[in-house]
Amino acid sequence: MRRRAIIARLAPYLALVPVLLFLAVFLYIPVVLDFAYSAHAWNSLSPTWRFVGFGNFRELLHDPLFWQSLRGNVLYAVVSLIVQVALALVLAAVLESGVVGIRLSAFFRVSYFIPSIMPITVIGLLWQILYQPDVGLIDQALHAVGLAALAHAWLGEEATALPAIVAVSQWQWFGYITVLFIVAIRAIPRELYEAAAIDGARAWRSFWHVTVPGVTETTVLMALITIFGAVKVFDIVWVMTGGGPNNASQVLGSYMYRSAFRDDRVGYAAAIAVVMFMICSVVGAAQLYWSRRRAP
Amino acid sequence: MMRRRSRLALRLAPAKLGALTILTILAVVTIYPLAWLLLNSLKSSDALFERSWALPTTWLWHNYPEAWRYGLGRFMANSVLITGVSVVAIVLLGALAAFVLVTRRFRGRGLVTAIVLGGLIVPPEVSLFPLFKIMVLLGIYNTYLAMIAPDIAYGLPFTVLLLRAYMTQIPPEMAEAATMDGAGLLRCFWHVYLPLARPALAAAAMVQAMRVWNEFVFALTFVSNDALHPLTVGLTTFGDSLNTNWPVLLAGLVISIVPILVVFLLMQRQFMRGLTAGALK
Repeated sequence: MRRRAIIARLAPYLALVPVLLFLAVFLYIPVVLDFAYSAHAWNSLSPTWRFVGFGNFRELLHDPLFWQSLRGNVLYAVVSLIVQVALALVLAAVLESGVVGIRLSAFFRVSYFIPSIMPITVIGLLWQILYQPDVGLIDQALHAVGLAALAHAWLGEEATALPAIVAVSQWQWFGYITVLFIVAIRAIPRELYEAAAIDGARAWRSFWHVTVPGVTETTVLMALITIFGAVKVFDIVWVMTGGGPNNASQVLGSYMYRSAFRDDRVGYAAAIAVVMFMICSVVGAAQLYWSRRRAP
Repeated sequence: MMRRRSRLALRLAPAKLGALTILTILAVVTIYPLAWLLLNSLKSSDALFERSWALPTTWLWHNYPEAWRYGLGRFMANSVLITGVSVVAIVLLGALAAFVLVTRRFRGRGLVTAIVLGGLIVPPEVSLFPLFKIMVLLGIYNTYLAMIAPDIAYGLPFTVLLLRAYMTQIPPEMAEAATMDGAGLLRCFWHVYLPLARPALAAAAMVQAMRVWNEFVFALTFVSNDALHPLTVGLTTFGDSLNTNWPVLLAGLVISIVPILVVFLLMQRQFMRGLTAGALK
């Protein structure tokens, strides 16, 4: 009898062990290790740790490539905020406004959404081909409309590599955020729109006075999700350019990856990872705060 | 008054037309590259570049079996295995944790919730090197487990929270009734909560299946043996080995997206429900 009572008390903990174990080993301990590595100079071949304190971080401050990578993330974030948050909100409002019929609106919604379910390698390889100099679809289209002067080796030139990657990312994700905005707009009480219509509000006024205030919390959440994504971005850059040419498309994630796995500078890479983690946790904490607010 | 009304009518029609035009252009921009992918996978290399826009003059269906022979079958089988095992584990472990958090009162419940919630904001990208070390230490570097284990771990926070939110709506009397009957924790979970939570389980499974199927970074970093790679990483080596035979590469890309597209179009409802409940990219 007592034994059963003990088992009953322990049962909840036992049931939680697998989840906690997975989170500890693969989420939390790695972050702790990041902090530990970042205070040392070492590489994977000769694992003699040498404590350098904040040395790696001091070096980061004077590393032009670090700042350049960070600027890459900032560009990524700014463009994404404009396209994926501002434009997606307008797009969602237009799709829900009844300007186009329900079935057509559903067709547009699904079309926009589809790129977001594609694997990153498919996206990367497809756009590498479309971006090919001269023979690729983009340059051919420019030639066809008489804008041959604008043709570029998009991924091969320093000036265009990162913007070209950022553009693909917008292509991939704007529909995803649009769908989330559509869900938020549908949660706005119909009566508010009807009241606005009786007042004679035009479409854009009911957008400003009903839709925008009605989805404020979603907007903040989407902005935070977008910034979070821009700080941690790695795979699309790695697949499309590997950070090149001549580091022109480097972002923090790709620079960190290169430092750890190519240059074998583990401590330095960990310092970059810590910087990324710090920014992510501030943005992420704000995100959690807002999503709790939204759904108490 | 008259003038105002007629101006309004005039302004409405162009607005509608303008909106429709922009929506259509955007749809073309998103869909055309994918249609281009499909059409050009059926051409010869020369035709791909010389008549990139046009329909194939001769439809080279054999690009597909050729792509398959380059080892896509193996990559696809790996993707299925990794995704299947990960999703079942994520959903079962996640549901069990959510069930305990919803139905039991115990010390440390708040702490566990915080740990799970915090997991949402730890991106795997910052931990790749430490994870690599851990894989080596656990002796699972270069095995399926090196992909499956982190796939499970990073799927759990989202899943636990999604299922917890759903299970709080299940009347607690259900659990109490089952406990009265002398059912243990596991039996109550298995026979009462799991069946009742089925819609949420489906939504969670869909979102996780999509995420794991598309996972790239773990496979790239923790597995160097190409025989174990899923489609996402396999396609990059596939692309390298084909070098300039692009139509065959395109055929490979098409093959690799067909399963996702079919599942997505069939299960759209569950997928959307899962996404919008969690809203995390």
